[in-house]
Order: sequence, then C-alpha cells, then structure tokens
Amino acid sequence: MKSDSQSNINWAKRLGHYILTLAALWACGPGITRAQADETCSSPYLARIEGQEEFIYVWTLGVEGLGDGSDKLVVVDAKPGSPTYGKVIDTHSVGGRNEAHHGGFTDDRRQLWLSGLESSKIFIFDVYSNPAHPRYLKTIENFAKTTGGAVGPHGVYALPGRVLVPCLSNGKDQSGRTALVEFSNDGDYIATHWLPTKDEPRGVAGAKSADGYGYDARVLPRKNVLLTSSFTGLNNYMRSFGDLVKDAEAMKQFGSSMVLWNFHTRQPKKAFNVPGAPLEIRWAWGEKHNYAFTATALTSKLWLCFEDDKGEWQAKETASIGGENGVLPVDISLSADDRTLFVDCFGDGKCRVFDVADPHHPKQIYERPVGKQLNMVSQSWDGKRLYFSSSLLARWDKGGDDNEQFVKAFAWDGHELKPGFALDFTTLKLGRPHHMLFGSTRVGK
Amino acid sequence: MKTIRFLSALLAAGAIASGEPADSARTAEHDYDAPVPGSYTLPVIKPAADGALLDTSGKPLRLRELTRSRVTVLSFIYTRCAAANACPYATGVLLQLHRASSADSDLAKHLRLVSISFDPVNDTPERMSAWSSLSAQHPAAAPWHFVTTHSQTELDPILTAYGQAVDKKQNPLAPTGPLNHTLRVFLVDSAGNIRNIYSSGTLDVRLVLADVRTLLLESIRDPAPTANHGSHATK
Repeated sequence: MKSDSQSNINWAKRLGHYILTLAALWACGPGITRAQADETCSSPYLARIEGQEEFIYVWTLGVEGLGDGSDKLVVVDAKPGSPTYGKVIDTHSVGGRNEAHHGGFTDDRRQLWLSGLESSKIFIFDVYSNPAHPRYLKTIENFAKTTGGAVGPHGVYALPGRVLVPCLSNGKDQSGRTALVEFSNDGDYIATHWLPTKDEPRGVAGAKSADGYGYDARVLPRKNVLLTSSFTGLNNYMRSFGDLVKDAEAMKQFGSSMVLWNFHTRQPKKAFNVPGAPLEIRWAWGEKHNYAFTATALTSKLWLCFEDDKGEWQAKETASIGGENGVLPVDISLSADDRTLFVDCFGDGKCRVFDVADPHHPKQIYERPVGKQLNMVSQSWDGKRLYFSSSLLARWDKGGDDNEQFVKAFAWDGHELKPGFALDFTTLKLGRPHHMLFGSTRVGK
Repeated sequence: MKTIRFLSALLAAGAIASGEPADSARTAEHDYDAPVPGSYTLPVIKPAADGALLDTSGKPLRLRELTRSRVTVLSFIYTRCAAANACPYATGVLLQLHRASSADSDLAKHLRLVSISFDPVNDTPERMSAWSSLSAQHPAAAPWHFVTTHSQTELDPILTAYGQAVDKKQNPLAPTGPLNHTLRVFLVDSAGNIRNIYSSGTLDVRLVLADVRTLLLESIRDPAPTANHGSHATK
C-alpha cells in the first residue's frame, strides 16, 4: 500500500503531465484554439469577436457649424437582419474638437480609447456593459506633462494589461521627434520610449536612418519584434495642406524611417531608410510569414519589412501605387490569409487591391473609386466585408464638392468590391469620419 | 506533422523536468532568443492589490502576504479550464518555473509562485489543495501557493484591481470550460509592485525567467528601489 505522500506525488505527476500536455498542444502550433474572427489589423493581444461584427465604432471629427460641432463616437449597426442595419444607432460627443484620429481597445476589449492629435487628450469608453451604447468613463489629460514631452497620441494598441500609444510629435518644438507611450488599462501612465535618432541612437543599428519620427507601432509576438513607422509633427499635420505643400522646408519634415525593436525589452534594434512617410503597418498572420507591409504616403510605394534567410531584418520597396504622379496611399488592410492587400488612396479616392501572395512581388489586381476622397479601411476576418471612411485630417481634407464625408460598406467576392450601405456624415450632421473599429456583444477567448 | 511537433513539445517539457534549463529552446510560438537578465528595465505598472483569500486548508490569509518580500509570479486560473492556451498553459509555465527553481538556489530563495482561482464555488480549498500537490514533486523549489476566495463577494474586488476579465459562457457545458476570461499572469517585485503582465502571446517561460532574474539583479543593485510609477528613462 502506498503512503499518502507517495500517492499525492503520483497524482501530481499525472496532473502535471496533463497540464504540460495541454500547454504543449498550444505551444506546438498556432491556430489550434484561436477564434478566427474580428478585424484583420487588430492587435494580436486583443480578445476576439466571435462571428460577424455587430457594430462599427467611428471616431469622428467635429466640424464647426455642423450639428453640435464636437468630435464624437458614432455607433453604426452592422448586425445582419437588424432593423437598424446600416444606420447610426448612437452618438456620444466628447465636447470640443481635438483632431479626432485613431483609437483602440484594451486587450480585454472592455474599453475603447480614442485619441485627439491636437489636444493630446485620450477619451476612454466602456464598450463592455452595453456594446451598442458605449459609456464614457474618463479622459486622460495633461498628456505632455505626464509622458515627459510627447504629444499627438496617434494609435492605441492593445498589449497584455496595458496599451501602447505611438505618438506623432513633442510639446517642445512640435516637430516629428516623438515617442511611444505606455498606459495601464486603468489609464495610469507607465513609460515613455523615445524613437531613436542618429544623435541619440540608443544602440540601434543603421542609426543614420533614424529620424526619431513616429506613426504606427505593431508587434509580431512570435518573433518578439515591434515595428514602428514615421509621419510628421504637429507643426505639419495641423497646418492647411494647401499651404504645407508650398513650403519646401516644411515638406522636408516628414518621416523617412522604420524601426525594428526588441518588443520585450522595448529597445530599438535596427533602423531602416523608408522615404516618403511610411504609415500603417500590417504584419502577416501566417505562422511562418515573418514580414509586414507598409505604404509610403508621399512617394506612393509599397514596402516590405521582412526577415531574410539569414535571420536579418530588411526593408525594401516592392511596388508603385497608382502610377508616377502619386495618389497619397493612406491606409492598407491585409486579408487574414495574407494574400490580398487593400490600399486606400486619398488622392484619387480609389481603393487599389494587390495580390500579395508573393509578398516580394505585389501585383495590382483591381481598383475602384470609393469616393472623392478616401482614408481608412477596416476588413472583416473572413475578407468578405470592408468598411471605408473619408477623412484624413481636418485641415488636409479636400474642399468644396470633393469634401465628401462618409462611411461606406462594401462586399468583396475575391474579384470586385460591391457597394453595401452608405452613410453621409455631412447630411447626418456628424462630421468627418476617421477610424472605424468593430464591436460586438460576443467576445470570446 | 502535428503529432511530431506535439511530441517534440512534450519532449521539450520533459527535458525541463529532467534538469535542462527552461530558458534554452525556441519554439514555433516563441521564435526568438530571450533577453539577457539585467540588460533592460521593467517599469512599475501599479501596486499589487490586496484581498481576502483562503489557503488550501481553508484558513484566511491576505493576498498582500503573497506579494511582498519575494519576487512573485501570480497567475489567475480556474481548474475547470480546458482551453489549451489559457489556464493549463499558465499553470504549465508556473510548473516549469517551479522546476527551474528547484535547480537554482537563488530562485528557490527569492521567488514565489501563486495560483489564484477566480471560480470560488468549484475551486474550494480542498480542490486547490489537490492541485497544490503539483508542487510536491520539488519540495526544495520556490514556494507555490494555491489559493481561492470564500465567495464572489471577496473575489470581485481582486478581479477588478488586477483587471482580470471573467464572464460566464452562454454554454456552461462548453468543452473548454464554462468561463470566458483573459489570460493574466503578473510579475510582482519584492516591494509589491506589478512590473509585468503576461498573456498568451507573451507568457514564455524564458521571458518570465529573464524578468524574474532582472528584478533579482535590481534588488542587488538597489535594495530599496523607489516605487516610481512611470518612467521617462528611455529617452
């Protein structure tokens, strides 16, 4: 007869084996238990929607004299079969105009954070209690003082228990020199990581390419790398675009770098020369796809950042977008199977679609006008639904009849985009719609 | 192919059990080298909250007692969870840390592991006691506490303070368990400050070990660190 302690140890061994077996099941390959839904460019740390998105949250810039004139969170019903499908079902003004821009969820998807590029305020909403009707919680203010000088909070990227906020500028000279900032999910400040420059390289390889500018920041967890891109500072993005392009000196003040970081240590490892303001970053999802796409706004090029056969990270131009004149590509969306890249072009209002099955040799396969101006695109995980919005920046949007302000839904069948619902945000007296994020009552793990 | 990879992963786990270092191998999910401990910093995120707990004998204790004086790796779990990338995975990582500490006197002396249940109705002290036998295999290793709460009333403020999301699934008979939850594992320094938060994408035993050793090195360099909340240090 075994003693109690021996029996306990045997039981513990069996339990330990069971736990390690389950753990190993996960460790041996991705995709075993992961939900396959949600927006394709979401943070990999974000709790996923199960099934189709039910709501589109639209962070909208207020327009003086239009409605209440304030920036607002607009909720659009996207639930098939709903009597209010394709309609605005809720709005929440934040009071005043902040140059509403991008937003993001906390990793548990309970909060939606919305940032203002001019005021540097971040507005936090509860989207858990009632996803159809978000509830305002609080505002992060005094951003520059809290962060040690960063301003222009751009994106909000979910990390475990915290968010990463890549910024565009700094409070000292309002140039493009800027930082990445971390806050806890409670809204408490954690840390500031300044982008490297050639004068303050922080150990980065290729320091001569490091300009200190920021824009997007996204992680490939499997490789423990964070990639950042670069745009311009408050001096430029709050200036009239017509004036800006006539100012040769100001036009030199745009980012021309991407930086690869050790994500865990938050240390910059390698800077790449990517001229022309590389903006949105889209990591591939495939389990061996060690690459990310970006598009350069001012030079109208697709770029690929990739790990080569020797394990070295590289960046290279792979394709032109829209010919030689430039079409100001501003947002890109990669399908979940890594085969199709949608490129929104503000200049001519077209969405261009590239076959990127061979990421080193993208081929345009389709294009169609979406509006007279076009900015953001959000794509469902199954690749069947895409939502487009119109506004770039308050002072950069087109004027007169070209100043269309909309959210439009399209269906993609693998060959063409077919229009669905369309909302005119001017007629609805809402403002300039910018970033669109998916919401649902069904969030799984 | 999956079977081969599965067996490889099991062998890797077995290798840890047989004494090979837990921080040696890359996997498909963690395809990088772990950083050198002490080569980076871990900013304070927030103080680790207190709360009312029950130990495996049903005796009351405070969570505060389990988040001070040692570096603590604290994992929220429920034992009915059968989602491979959730509680079993987190407990598997703590099991590897426990084994690693049995072969490292510094870890054995300065590390503490805590598995705290968010399912008090089912995870009774008796149930947690059964699970605590996991630590019986390595009696010389770092202490590993399995704790629960008396009821949801005591649990809720702890979940709120740590940001641990838990919901009941629509299908209580779901094969992966009846609760939806985020995976949360916390690294707490010896002064009781949360210094890192891991979830499925970042919960790599090699990273956790590097972080633990970074905090141990920090305590040698600066025995009484200021609990500054936030850092501009990386300018």
